[in-house]
Amino acid sequence: MNPITVPSISYFTMAPMLVLFVGSVLLMAAASLLRHRLPEVVSTATSVLLGLGALVVSILQWDHLIRHGSSSTVAGALVLDGFSVFVNITVSCAVILTALVAHDYLARLKFDSAEFHILALLSASGALIMGAANDLVVVFLGLEILSIALYVLVALNRKNEKSAEGALKYFVLGGFSSAVFVYGIALTYGATGSTNLAKMGTYLSANVVHRPGLLLAGIGLLAVGFCFKIAAVPFHMWTPDVYEGAPTPVTGFMAAVAKVGGFVAFLRVFETAFSTQQSTWAPLLYTVALLTTFIGATSAIAQHNVKRMLAYSSINHAGFILLGVVVLTKAGFAGSLYYLFTYSVMAIGTFALLGVLGGARDEDHDLTSYRGLAKRRPGVALSLALLLLAQAGMPFTTGFLAKFGVIEATVAHGEIPLALLAMVSATISAVAYLRVGIVMYATHDVPTPVSDGSSFKDRAEGSLLLEVEPVATTHEVPVAPTTGLAIGICLAVTFYFGIAPGALLDFARQAAQLLR
Amino acid sequence: MVEQKAVDTYLPVLLLLIVGILFASLSFVASGLLAPRKKPTAAKLAPYECGIVPDREPPTRFPVRFYLVAMIFIIFDIEIVFMYPFAVVFRQLHTFGLVEVLTFSVTIFVALLFLVSNGALSWGPAKILTKGMPSRTSDSTIVRISAATSTEQAA
Amino acid sequence: MSVNPSWFLILSALLFSIGAFGLLIRRNVLVMFMCVELMLNAANLSFVTFSRMLGDIGGQATVFFVLVVAAAEVVVGLGLVVAIFRRRHHAVVDDLSSMKG
Repeated sequence: MNPITVPSISYFTMAPMLVLFVGSVLLMAAASLLRHRLPEVVSTATSVLLGLGALVVSILQWDHLIRHGSSSTVAGALVLDGFSVFVNITVSCAVILTALVAHDYLARLKFDSAEFHILALLSASGALIMGAANDLVVVFLGLEILSIALYVLVALNRKNEKSAEGALKYFVLGGFSSAVFVYGIALTYGATGSTNLAKMGTYLSANVVHRPGLLLAGIGLLAVGFCFKIAAVPFHMWTPDVYEGAPTPVTGFMAAVAKVGGFVAFLRVFETAFSTQQSTWAPLLYTVALLTTFIGATSAIAQHNVKRMLAYSSINHAGFILLGVVVLTKAGFAGSLYYLFTYSVMAIGTFALLGVLGGARDEDHDLTSYRGLAKRRPGVALSLALLLLAQAGMPFTTGFLAKFGVIEATVAHGEIPLALLAMVSATISAVAYLRVGIVMYATHDVPTPVSDGSSFKDRAEGSLLLEVEPVATTHEVPVAPTTGLAIGICLAVTFYFGIAPGALLDFARQAAQLLR
Repeated sequence: MVEQKAVDTYLPVLLLLIVGILFASLSFVASGLLAPRKKPTAAKLAPYECGIVPDREPPTRFPVRFYLVAMIFIIFDIEIVFMYPFAVVFRQLHTFGLVEVLTFSVTIFVALLFLVSNGALSWGPAKILTKGMPSRTSDSTIVRISAATSTEQAA
Repeated sequence: MSVNPSWFLILSALLFSIGAFGLLIRRNVLVMFMCVELMLNAANLSFVTFSRMLGDIGGQATVFFVLVVAAAEVVVGLGLVVAIFRRRHHAVVDDLSSMKG
């Protein structure tokens, strides 16, 4: 019998995911052994500290990466390179921000806060695994760790019917997409003889595949699996329902972490393993990106529920990020990575505000309940308007630079029609954001019934109540200090790096260059 | 040349798709043809031939506890999938394998701890679940875990 | 005597498409879970077949991971179903039909 050679393991590469994972296991042990329910402060503080720990380790990794270059470990299954460190930093920031946002929310809705933080940390560690994975099986494991924890997080609001329904829809479609993904792995494994991305890449560049059916079917199925996770059209149908049903901080977390994990794995798989087959899959992804930007933008306009509107706008954003995958150049990667980071920050901030505006039970997300918000709550209205404008791509915000980056890369690659159409879709989606701004600033305090009456059924009980009592002081939720801090950080990042973009742009560019 | 190749390369995928669709739709057609012709009518489905037609079904008892335990069992059952290959080669893996498996087991054990402390495994009237957590102590959790593991061994 | 391995691949493709179509056509949540399981196991069958064809043990090792993930996934799914049933415990049959909708 052959002796087994244990592969060398670099714990430094795995450090951020280990911090989050071990931390969540310890939090779980503490929550089950303590006499009483773990106080909210303790679990929030643990979560923030773990996020900070992961962030510090990731910055050390970045330093190491700049000095020594990228490396792989565990027999090539995990890598330490620009992409993985980028994911580590983005997700760690998202964990910290989400923990801050969730603190007040969980106490207000009387959720078990330890449960939330354990699941969020686990889910985040799944995203980190996806970011560092250099083997399709590891990508799959990361994907599942990310998704399974998210299914439960979406269902966390047990009192709300929509929460469970959204979770079930997410689960069924998520399960479908993972099965498709696994079958894709099986077919590409059969065609190339390995699940390791680097080995697949070298095999495909060294050999001409004589019977490419298996390989193409495999690549197609993998792309479908990824498109489900990042909510690209035609696999986006779950997004509005799940975003609407999930507790609002979870929606922000999902928009940030699940997208980052999914996109970076998507980029890595298609760059490392299948870049030689670009001529066959690029047209398909071209179409998907185009459809995603347009359907996201046009559907966003038609929504009466702000959470649903933001869900469609996230689809629009996904289309933009997808442009980086379509062009598959370093500039494209840099654009996509930059977009992912800035979108994560904006999304968490926006959904934090929505969580505050949703009322005591997190149910008032109808656009009509935002009427006259600028007069009632000027600070909240201003923050929301600024974040939405940033998402629309206003100059002097990171949102503008993000859109500019991917479009520039697309033009540089010669796909001028695609770039133009994407810009048109950005203009369309701006209408949806501006509509919210107009409702907040240009309408009267007293919500009046909508004239066309079409949205009557859609509106939540809360907005009907509002019509009876003009000023909605009864269920106005104050902005808690932690939530305010998180929103402040999001606004600061969005505007600081919008005005002085150097550092963040360089970070994304270098991360894209340092791909293994 | 590239264009011609593109058509060629997509052909097997298309064929696979068509065969798949055909097979799936044919099996539905076949089940439609072979199934009993008469669909049961409402009268046939009614539990009693005469009497008052029930307005709505009586509430059925739905013991969630069984499902919970069964679901938890699935998880702890499937873990053995990792233990078995380890047991086959554990001499060759030396301490490394032992440490890995111990880490794995500890993680699983913490999950068990969480379940027990939440009352997911306690039988009988669901007092703990309805009353909340206050009655729980670290001692009681440990006692319950030892009870749970000892019954597991006995079974 | 040995069976041509492509038959196993064809079988797995058929199982996968049955699962996929079942998932899209059926409206019962539990049947949908079963369809997901069928798809995952079809993938497992191809993994084992390719592993045999290529003489590489990696494919068989992957099957372990897929099995465990499938179990974890189904447990979460059943948990969600139980959570939905629990909240509307007064009318179980109505719930079953509303799930179909």
